[in-house]
Amino acid sequence: MLSKKTEKILRDVQKPGRYTGGELNSVIKDKNGIKIRFAFCFPDSYEIGMSHIGMKILYSLINERADSWCERVFAPWIDMEERMRAEGLPLYALESGDAVKDFDIIGFTLQYELCYTNMLNMLDLAGLPVRSGDREALTPLVIAGGPCVCNAEPVSEFVDIFLPGEGEEVTNELIDLLVEHKEKGAGKSEFLRAAAKIEGVYVPSLYDVSYNGDGTVSAVTPRRGAPAKIKKRVVKDLDKMYFPDSFVVPSIEVIHDRTAAEIFRGCIRGCRFCQAGFICRPVREKSPETINRQCKNICASTGYDEISLCSLSSSDYTGMEELLELLISWTDSEKTNVALPSLRADNFSKELTEKLAGVRKSSLTFAPEAGTQRLRDAINKNITEDEMLAAARQAFAGGWTSVKLYFMIGLPTETAKDIEGIADLAQKITDEFYANPDRPKGKSVSISLSVASFVPKPFTPFQWEPQDTLSQLLQKQELLRSLIKTKKVSLSFHKTQASLLEAVFARGDRRLCDVIEAAWRGGCRFDGWDEMFRFDVWDRAFEECSLSMEFYANRRRRFDETLPWDHMDYGINKRFLEKENEKSRKGAVTPHCRVSCAGCGADKLNGGECHAHGKNLDK
Amino acid sequence: MRTVRIWINKEGRARYISHLDLNRCFARAVRRAGLKLWYTEGFNPHPYLNFLTPLSLGQESETEPLDIKIESGTTDSEIFESLSHILPEGITIKRVCEPICPASEIAAAEYKAVLEFESAEKAASFIDISRRAISSGTLFAEKHGKKGKKKAAKKINVCDGVLFFDAADDGKDVRLKMTLSAGNTSSLNPSLLLSALENESGIKADFSLIRRIRLLKADGTDFE
Repeated sequence: MLSKKTEKILRDVQKPGRYTGGELNSVIKDKNGIKIRFAFCFPDSYEIGMSHIGMKILYSLINERADSWCERVFAPWIDMEERMRAEGLPLYALESGDAVKDFDIIGFTLQYELCYTNMLNMLDLAGLPVRSGDREALTPLVIAGGPCVCNAEPVSEFVDIFLPGEGEEVTNELIDLLVEHKEKGAGKSEFLRAAAKIEGVYVPSLYDVSYNGDGTVSAVTPRRGAPAKIKKRVVKDLDKMYFPDSFVVPSIEVIHDRTAAEIFRGCIRGCRFCQAGFICRPVREKSPETINRQCKNICASTGYDEISLCSLSSSDYTGMEELLELLISWTDSEKTNVALPSLRADNFSKELTEKLAGVRKSSLTFAPEAGTQRLRDAINKNITEDEMLAAARQAFAGGWTSVKLYFMIGLPTETAKDIEGIADLAQKITDEFYANPDRPKGKSVSISLSVASFVPKPFTPFQWEPQDTLSQLLQKQELLRSLIKTKKVSLSFHKTQASLLEAVFARGDRRLCDVIEAAWRGGCRFDGWDEMFRFDVWDRAFEECSLSMEFYANRRRRFDETLPWDHMDYGINKRFLEKENEKSRKGAVTPHCRVSCAGCGADKLNGGECHAHGKNLDK
Repeated sequence: MRTVRIWINKEGRARYISHLDLNRCFARAVRRAGLKLWYTEGFNPHPYLNFLTPLSLGQESETEPLDIKIESGTTDSEIFESLSHILPEGITIKRVCEPICPASEIAAAEYKAVLEFESAEKAASFIDISRRAISSGTLFAEKHGKKGKKKAAKKINVCDGVLFFDAADDGKDVRLKMTLSAGNTSSLNPSLLLSALENESGIKADFSLIRRIRLLKADGTDFE
């Protein structure tokens, strides 16, 4: 349902299919009888947002309700934004074409820090004030979820409600509450106070933050009955959890265009740099039967010919062999590809390779993260060089010819030796390919190294660590570049300035709201896109607000400092993180949860239940 | 294995789906429908799906032929039924049949277009200038093409591809009926013709909608 105005604009923009809606399985409802209009906003381009599984789940979940209609909204690309502003066309939702400002709930998912300016821009394009305090009416209510919400302080003055943790249950509870409050004609503040009583609801305006003279947080004080600690929500049983029977199938090509199925949540590994590995705990598995059924349903309703099994570390799934057997029993004959991202090199079994070799080959990705054993121990990436080489050997024997390796530079305790180790490892893996007598003839091996800069994140043992400065990071990149001498190995780096900003926002406080607004007003948006990233504008924004990036990114925090996210409860004990931090400095490893429980504390979120040993074994 | 010709309509929001994306959409639709596609027997088996006359982004059509190869055993009406309700909004199946003409016989296509102008005067003078330009037999336009791997602009006389042209005014709107050459040997995109006319007249339409209504063989009969 496109307006004439929209149609006229569409002929002037790139990829108009991003802005039309009408895709297969998109949900159109009769507005009569709908009490809650929900605009699910992904603050990035259509192609990125449509690849996100969380949005698919919540979209269907909300649309299951007879009283609600959830629609999708993405950040219009620059050319579209320009035309929309010129023609006075406000941000609209794809299904109905209706203006977002007339919706009851505007829900953002915050997947990465560099999308913050897009959220502001979308609110502004909708014709709404960007600051929560300037939106006086009960609706539209602006809410946000996603991993960034574990420290949402840098955007806390724009959003009315944050939903830390998993959204499958709390979303419905919040909608119920809003229906009730709309019906009785309640005001926004009354609603927010009531919402704060729901477990897993964080209303930032109900908390006062005070600061010390040195700029660190002195205290976060709840007001008007809000809880002192906000506990993230977890879903207890993934087999009983809602999962859609169909996905909206984009008509234009998007990044990940396939059936996606989560196999478990949480992670047993405890890599010390990895935020997801801690904030998604405790481990909960889905049974092979459930996953198989869900994949079958989605493939049937979408026509996708590829399934991606998602988790933080796929080969740790205890039901993998059983699952692959179930899947392959029908995917083979239907010519459906099964992709298995996030494999670990140490338990990548021969049987697994063989099973996967039956379906079409995608490239293989490993994440050693660091170049030497010493540093891998320090970050608790418990994987040895021998294990990696063995995995590469197996992969090559299984017919793979390209391997992608993920590394990080700037990790705590890193030295030049560790950088050299990255180049050495790439060389050894290349050698492994040529040592295979059965390698495919006439084919060369291709090793791509993707090298990110370490960003210290909240709720990890490294949350107190300084990030390397820009010049340190650039030097390390230069060193690595000089060490790669073969064309079989390709090297790509993340933009260091973007990593710096990520570090600032990941551990930032409320004062950064002003900086984000200033940078957005200065023209920043799509900061995650290299071609759009404008560091000079950010630099100026910090200056205008008299804040420094270094304070947030490059400063070592003391254990006794009050951290801006200390009032968020993600189940992980702070004392556990301190111990892990100390062990890392000594290069001591912590065995994964299946060897022995490290006592992180996350199981208490799930009534003491953690499926580290597999769902059935633990009971 | 047999080849089936599926005739579809593409209109409304679906006209923003590009040719390549439409291919993907149908590959999925056919899988959803549970039709047994015939796969190529190469190293990387893929289904055979071929839209005979690629349609430009933004244009509508009520006559798009798509050839697919399927394993024997499914009737045309079963294919019609199974595909009918599982396509993106704006794409509908008109009929399913055996291909009668080979694709190489497509020689021309008939189009309707509506152009909206700021005023009735502008519409009238657009018609005037257009008629004159077409009947003069020469109207040049830049066609973006490829020379090897490089992008290259080519100057062409669009009149060479115009077999029939008629313009009528309707207040601020102009209604066009055009038959333009189409197919593998020479093909004129109606958008290119319209922009050439806009350049020639110096009058730009606020909005235009082009719709393909028929495909023709060289002798002027329907391509089937």
